Amino acid sequence: MGVAKLKKAELYYHKSVHEQIAAILQESGACQIISTVEENIKPADIEALISKTDEKLADVRYLTRTLSPLYVDPVPALDRMLGERDEVTMSELEQLAAKTDLKAVSESIRSLEHEIGEVKSKLSEARTNSLLLSDLKFFAYPLSVITEGTRTLTALIGTIKAENLSGLDAALGDFSKFAQDSELIIAPHNEKDKSQDIYAAVIYSRSIDSEIREVCAKNGLSIIDVPAALTGTPEEEQGKYSASITELEAKESELAAKLKDSAQENMPAIQKLSDYYNSLSTRYNGMAKSEETESTMLTKFWIPVNKSQELSEKINAVSTDIELVMNDPAPDEEPPSLLNNSDTVKPFNVLTELYSSPTYRGIDPTPLLAPFFWIFFGMCLGDAGYALVLFGTIMYVLKKYKKLSGGTKEFIRLFLFCSVSTFIYGVISGSFFGDFIDAFLPPLVPVKNALMLVDPMKNPMQVLGISLLLGVIHLMFGLLIAAYDKMRHGEFIDAIGHDISWFLFIVGLCLLGVAMGGMLPAHFQQIGAAMAGLGAVIIFLYAGKGERNIFKRIISGFLALYGATSYLGDILSYSRLLALGFGSAVIGVVINLLGGLASDIPYIGWLVAVVVIIGGHIFSIAINLLGSFVHPLRLQYVEFFGKFYTGGGEPFTPLTLSQEYVNVKA
Amino acid sequence: MELLGLSLALFGAAVAAALAGIGSAIGIGIAGGAAAGVMTEDPNKFGSCLILQALPGTQGIYGLLIAFFVLSKIGLLGGAGAVALNWNQGLQIFASCLPIAVVGWYSAIWQGKTSAASIQMISKKPEAMGKAVILPAMVETYAVLALLTSILMLMGVQVG
Repeated sequence: MGVAKLKKAELYYHKSVHEQIAAILQESGACQIISTVEENIKPADIEALISKTDEKLADVRYLTRTLSPLYVDPVPALDRMLGERDEVTMSELEQLAAKTDLKAVSESIRSLEHEIGEVKSKLSEARTNSLLLSDLKFFAYPLSVITEGTRTLTALIGTIKAENLSGLDAALGDFSKFAQDSELIIAPHNEKDKSQDIYAAVIYSRSIDSEIREVCAKNGLSIIDVPAALTGTPEEEQGKYSASITELEAKESELAAKLKDSAQENMPAIQKLSDYYNSLSTRYNGMAKSEETESTMLTKFWIPVNKSQELSEKINAVSTDIELVMNDPAPDEEPPSLLNNSDTVKPFNVLTELYSSPTYRGIDPTPLLAPFFWIFFGMCLGDAGYALVLFGTIMYVLKKYKKLSGGTKEFIRLFLFCSVSTFIYGVISGSFFGDFIDAFLPPLVPVKNALMLVDPMKNPMQVLGISLLLGVIHLMFGLLIAAYDKMRHGEFIDAIGHDISWFLFIVGLCLLGVAMGGMLPAHFQQIGAAMAGLGAVIIFLYAGKGERNIFKRIISGFLALYGATSYLGDILSYSRLLALGFGSAVIGVVINLLGGLASDIPYIGWLVAVVVIIGGHIFSIAINLLGSFVHPLRLQYVEFFGKFYTGGGEPFTPLTLSQEYVNVKA
Repeated sequence: MELLGLSLALFGAAVAAALAGIGSAIGIGIAGGAAAGVMTEDPNKFGSCLILQALPGTQGIYGLLIAFFVLSKIGLLGGAGAVALNWNQGLQIFASCLPIAVVGWYSAIWQGKTSAASIQMISKKPEAMGKAVILPAMVETYAVLALLTSILMLMGVQVG
C-alpha cells in the first residue's frame, strides 16, 4: 500500500555486454535510469548506436507522415483504442527490421511523390492554358501570329473594359498609318454591360509594334502574355490540351492509387518498425546516462524492491563479470514515487496522479480518498438504471477487449466500481431511469418504495443533512491525516495547534447543534460545548505563538478563529452532492414525462416515445457522468487535499518499450 | 386578474430556462472558439477539448430543470390542468427561479472563459487534463449552489 519502496541500484559491467544489459533493463519496465554524467557526454559506443537509430527513425517518420493519411486500417479506430492490437516480441521485430530495407521503401515512396508532384504541376499548367484558350476562341488565326509573328505581321491580345472599346477603335483608326496596317478583332460580348472586361486582339504590321503597344496601353487594353508553346488556332490548341488533361488526370489517379496501395502494403510493417526503433531510441538515450571507463560501464537506476530479485537474476545470467549493488535510498536523496496499491484501490491511483504524485516519503492519499470518491460519485449520478447501463457497458468492453492497456483498463474499472455505489444510492433514493417505475411500471412501485431509505424529491433537507454530514466526516478525516503526518515527523505542537484544535472545534459544534436539535441525548450538549471551547482556546493560543506583543497575540488569535468561515464554506460545498443527485433524477423525470406526452401522438406515438426515452436517457447519462466525475473530484482536490496533501513528488518513469501501434513483449 | 399568478409563475420558468440557456450558449461558444484553435494544430485533442467545451453547458440544463419543475408544480405538464394560483404564489415561484436564472447566466459565461483558458493549457500540456477540468468546475460550484437554492425555494412554495 502507498508509495512503493525503491532501491538504488549500481550496475558495473563490461562494455562487450552493454547491449544485452540495456535490453534487460528496458524490457523489465521497472528501471528508472539515474543520470550520472552531464547531458552532452555520452559513451562513444552508445552515441554510435543512437545516431544509427536516428537515421532509421528519420525514414520511419517520413513514411508514417506520408502514408498514414492514406492508410485504411482494417480494424476500426475504436477497437484499436481499446487495445485491439497485434502482439509481437522484440526478437520478431528485430527480424522484421533486418529484412526490411527502409531506405529502399522510402526512396520509392519519395520518387512516387516526386512523380505525382510533376504530374500535378503539368496538369495545373494545362488547365490554366485550356481556360485561357476557351476565352481566345474569337481569334480565328493561329496563335503563332501572336507568339512568333509572320514575316510582316504580328499581333497582341488583351482585355479591355467595354466602355473603352470605342476609344481604342478610334485611336487605332485615327492614326492613318495604322488604319491600313492593323485590324481590331473583338470577342463577342453583351453590348449593354459597359463595365465588363472583354477580350480584344489587334493584328498589325511588325514595323509599328512599339507605337501600337503604346496606343493600346493608353486606351486601357491590358495585354495578356500568351505562352510561347501555343502556336495553332485556339480551337486546335484546346483540342490538344483537353486530350492531354484527360491523360494527365488518368496518370495522376493511377499514381495516387499506387501510393495508396503502397501505404496499404507497407504501413503494418512500418508501424511495427516505428515502435521498434522508438524503443531502441529510448533505450539508448536512457543508457547514455551511464558512466564509462576504458572497458567498463556503470549504470545507476531506481528499481522497486519487489522487482529487484527478478532483475538481478536476469542480469547475473548474462555474464559472471557483472557487479550489481542495491542500496536503500540515502536520507538526503529524493527518489521518484510509484503508487503501489492493491487491486481494489488501484483504479483510484489516476485521481491522485491527475493532481500530483506524492513525494517518496509522503503519504499516498489514494486509499484515503477512494471510499469517499466512491460514495460521492454514487450520490451525484444516483440512479439505479443509469448504474446498470454503465455496469453493463463496462463489463461488455472488458470482456470483448482483453488486451486493454493498463491505464485505460484501470480508468474503466474506476467507473465499474462507481457504478456499484450509483446503483446502491439509486435504490435507496428510489431513482430508476428517473421515475420510470412510477410512470410506466406501476406494479413495481411497492417494491421500489419498500427499498427506499431517503426521498430527495419529497424531503430534500434530509439528503442535504446527509451530504453535509459526509462533508464534515471527510474534512475531519483530512484533519486527522494532517495531524498524523505532522506527528510522524515529530511536530506534536503543530499537529495539535493546527489540526486537532479545529477537529475538536468543529466536531464539538456539530455535537452541540445535533444535541440541541434533539437528535442526541441532552448531555451531548455539554460534551460538544466543552470540545468546541477547548478547540477554540487552542486555536486562539496557537495562532499567536512566537509573538511577544500581547495585543498582536490577541489579534492573531481572533483572526485565526475567523478561519472558521472557510470551514463553513468547505462544509456547505458538499451540498452539491444533493444538487447533482437531484439534478440527474429530475432530468430523468423530465425525459419520462416528454416520452409520456409523445405517446399521445396518434399511431406513431409509441415509437416517438421510445426514441425520446432511450435517446434522452443516453444524453442524460453522458452529461451526468461528466458532472459526477468532476464534482466529487473537486471535493477531493480542494476540500480534502487542502487539509493535508500537497503532492509535489516526481513520478517514477521507468525505461519502457514504445507501444504506439503494437503491443511489444520482451 | 385571476390568471396573474399563473403568468408570474410562467414568467419565472421562462427566465430560468432562457437566461441560464443564454449563458451556457455564450460560455460554450467562447470555449468552442478556443477548442477550434487548438484543434487546427492538433486534431487528436478533440476528445479532451470536447469535454472542456461541454463544461459550461450544465447551467442551461439546470435552468431547464427548474423550468420543468415549475411547469409540473403548476400542473401544466401532463393532463391534470393548471392549479389555481393567486398572485402572491405566482410571485413566490417567480422569485424561486431567479437564483438559477441570474447565477446560471453569469457563471456559464465565466466558466466558458475558464474553459477556454484550460483548453489553451492542455494544448501545451496534455498531461494536465485533470487540473484543466477542475478549474472550470470551480466556477460551476456557484451555479450548483444557485440550483440548490432554487430547488429548495420552489419546494417551500405552497400551491393548490
